[in-house]
Amino acid sequence: MASYRKKALALVAAASMATALAACGSGGGSSNSGTKAGATGGTLTYYIKAALEHTDPQRTYVGRDITDWSRTVYRQLVTFPVSDDPTTATTPVPDLATNTGTSSDSAKTWQFTIRPGVTWQDGKAITCADFKYGASRPFATDVVTGGPNYILTYLDIPIDSKTGLPIYTGPYKSSAAGTAAFNKAITCAGNTITYHFKKSWPDFPLAIAALHMMDPYRQDKDQGDKSNYQIFSNGPYELQGTWDKETGGTFVRNPNYKASSDTTGSRKALPNKIIFNIGKTSETIADQLIADSGPDKAAVTGQSIPPSYYSQITGSVASRAASVVSPYTDYAVINFKRITNVKVREAIAASTNDTGWVTAGGGAKSFKEAHDIVNPAVKGYQPDLYPAGAGDPAKSKQLLQEAGVKTPYPLTFTYPSSDTMDKQAAALKQGWEAGGFKVTLEGVADQDTYYTNIQAPAQKDDVIWAGWGADWPSAITVTAPLFDSRPNLTPSSNGQDYGGYKSSAFNALVDQAQGSSDLDAQTKYLQQADQVLAKDVAYVPLDTQIFYMLRGSDVTGYKTDAASNSYPDLGVIGVK
Amino acid sequence: MLAYIVRRLFAGGILLVAMSMITFILFFAIPSDPAQFACGKNCSLAQRAQVRKGLGYDKPVAVQWENFAVGVFKGRDYPDDKSLAKSAPQLIAHCAAPCLGYSRVNLQTVTQEFKQRIPVSASLALAAFLMWIIGGIGLGALAAVWKGTIIDRGVVGISLVFYAFPTFFVGLFLLKYLAIKWQVFPVPSYISIADGGLWNWFVNLILPALTLALFYMAGYVRMTRAFVLESMSEDYLRTAKAKGLAPRKILYKHTMRAALTPLVTMAGLDLAGLLGGAVITESVFNYNGLGKLVVDSVITFDLPTVVGLVLLLGAFVIVANIIVDILYALIDPRVRVG
Repeated sequence: MASYRKKALALVAAASMATALAACGSGGGSSNSGTKAGATGGTLTYYIKAALEHTDPQRTYVGRDITDWSRTVYRQLVTFPVSDDPTTATTPVPDLATNTGTSSDSAKTWQFTIRPGVTWQDGKAITCADFKYGASRPFATDVVTGGPNYILTYLDIPIDSKTGLPIYTGPYKSSAAGTAAFNKAITCAGNTITYHFKKSWPDFPLAIAALHMMDPYRQDKDQGDKSNYQIFSNGPYELQGTWDKETGGTFVRNPNYKASSDTTGSRKALPNKIIFNIGKTSETIADQLIADSGPDKAAVTGQSIPPSYYSQITGSVASRAASVVSPYTDYAVINFKRITNVKVREAIAASTNDTGWVTAGGGAKSFKEAHDIVNPAVKGYQPDLYPAGAGDPAKSKQLLQEAGVKTPYPLTFTYPSSDTMDKQAAALKQGWEAGGFKVTLEGVADQDTYYTNIQAPAQKDDVIWAGWGADWPSAITVTAPLFDSRPNLTPSSNGQDYGGYKSSAFNALVDQAQGSSDLDAQTKYLQQADQVLAKDVAYVPLDTQIFYMLRGSDVTGYKTDAASNSYPDLGVIGVK
Repeated sequence: MLAYIVRRLFAGGILLVAMSMITFILFFAIPSDPAQFACGKNCSLAQRAQVRKGLGYDKPVAVQWENFAVGVFKGRDYPDDKSLAKSAPQLIAHCAAPCLGYSRVNLQTVTQEFKQRIPVSASLALAAFLMWIIGGIGLGALAAVWKGTIIDRGVVGISLVFYAFPTFFVGLFLLKYLAIKWQVFPVPSYISIADGGLWNWFVNLILPALTLALFYMAGYVRMTRAFVLESMSEDYLRTAKAKGLAPRKILYKHTMRAALTPLVTMAGLDLAGLLGGAVITESVFNYNGLGKLVVDSVITFDLPTVVGLVLLLGAFVIVANIIVDILYALIDPRVRVG
């Protein structure tokens, strides 16, 4: 998944607009949790720069929105709790279910019992049928688009050889055979729902805590695409009026929400009202929060402070800034069609000036050097996989000599051009050239088509920049979608395997991970798979992005954590 | 005159048809896939194909354009899926004639989008237009009359400064200092007269309108000054002076009238362009007008909105040209249309 820093790219890219589970922690001297917990009442404003693409639970796929909705309007079977401890914050707790689910048949079958007394905003009970209906919606792939659709590949429904998709085509129109298959794959017995998968899904609870794809949905409220901005709540708040795509919406208390039915401890619902204000530029949001007057005193944002404003973040303003490690990792992939000699790839990795890349990008307030493509908060992270640092030119030259290639070795690097990225690319170029390469930088001005271009099988650049974040806190949502050649490489596209990497050893380990019924065993296989990638130098991790966010002085209990994807956690934030 | 207007309107209609065709062709010529964008992450080729079908982009471009053209006269259903209409009619959105299309990004017909956006852009354009016309022509005439003096140099110099600064800089500067830091004005957001009354509508318009007006005003100061000076050297004005006409009468009745003719052309086209949205100003001040819609619809590959906007903005310019030509005749008796 791509980061917000590259929003324009993310809009277009296949690797875009997804959720992520974030690392928590502080950097740059600021804190990720500040001010004491507050009392109930008041109005909190949440500034968001760009319009949300969806508010439909099955279509929501942006980390910030997932966590905002989890805390306010969309409860899940299980959810991630508020916690400063990344492990606790990424361990599911029961929410609408009575427990975190029980699995059988090598994690191919999962069963949950729905908590009694949980209701929708109109007071009607949330039923097993609502969960089943919610799970059916992503199968309408021509209507409910843009969301996470893992259920299509997991749920035990035969594939239609004509379309390559499940024979069940969603609740709006499907064949009798498709509907029957779906009814067999998900069954309701009273308040107990059972999911039958065609392959093991040991981290299913992680997936449904991290995403809203399996949330309940009321059939009588469904108008397909027309429901994209409808919010029908079962959480502590409800939408007042309608959601305006361009300006946002106001949430007030949901009178039918019973706090006693919520044991997560993660929905304190302190403000009486939450206003989502959409459309201001990052600069204006920063200006307003720095000025800290009027309603802005009780405002938060998920928008990072623009680097040009860093010099203004001093004194009392600095005490209102949080610097948090984000869930997003940037990395460089090596084009395997062009750089076939592993020694040359090793030389590229050895001479990568990661320190220079981070410094040129704004330093510790913007980036942190990365040691793995897997984020530090994600299961399977290996802190010693890559050394990072300023690079080792001498080692690089030696490797090139061992490769038996003529030096300086010509190398092209493509990336989406911007003022910052140009400087960062120049830092990489310096490191690589010191290591025996002759580098040509290929900055792509048209950021909207960047990902489409690097997916082309005839891609002519040697090293390619990309960004990603995990869909749920498991490496299965990082290395597998990015480097498994089987679903990615087709005659017309490299998919998300931008470098055209193909490895039977890696694919075999992914298969073993996907077949594991145990989460720890799965993680072990994925770590081994990541080591294969490192050995082949399929990628070089560059940075983990830092979120550097301001808040108003009347905000209480401010917190960002792994459960909130590093964005302000509305579960505990209040106002004076 | 009537025949002239009808002829021009007919030519304008043909131009709009051509523009819609070119937009369709260009939309599908760019190396981006709207289906991939809509499908999102983790989208297989099979899913993408389904999304493409759902969006109606699987049909040949000519068929899509034909459907669009038919929809303008007869209206259309979105999605145009008869089996879906039968099994789940609540999913179908009807776009009544004249249907310019239905935006699956904004979940409304393009004409509904325009109804919401035009008042925003029109308010901004008209407020800015009044500011720059009054300021630009007034100061330009002043500079011409006081040619060579400190007033002339001061007016021309300051106007050059505002002309040189990019609009986004002036906008952000006004927003940061006048609204956020010194709080002389509220942080602007568009409030319609119906929702907030005339005063709120006006106060919230001042900064964005001023941002636009300062840029345009600078050009109009320079042009007015040049046209007035040129007119002042005409023989008939010398004659007027020799006949003893009052200087004020010479300026207002004879000099300005001649100088205004080219300015009317400029003003008409500038206003038409602005009615179509001020992209940067609307983005800086978060005014959800047509300019912001242009940017958003291009970024989100929203073909129906893109086509609708091209036609609307094209229509603005065509109509403005016709009005300008007619105004020519009214202002300058030497000009005849026909």
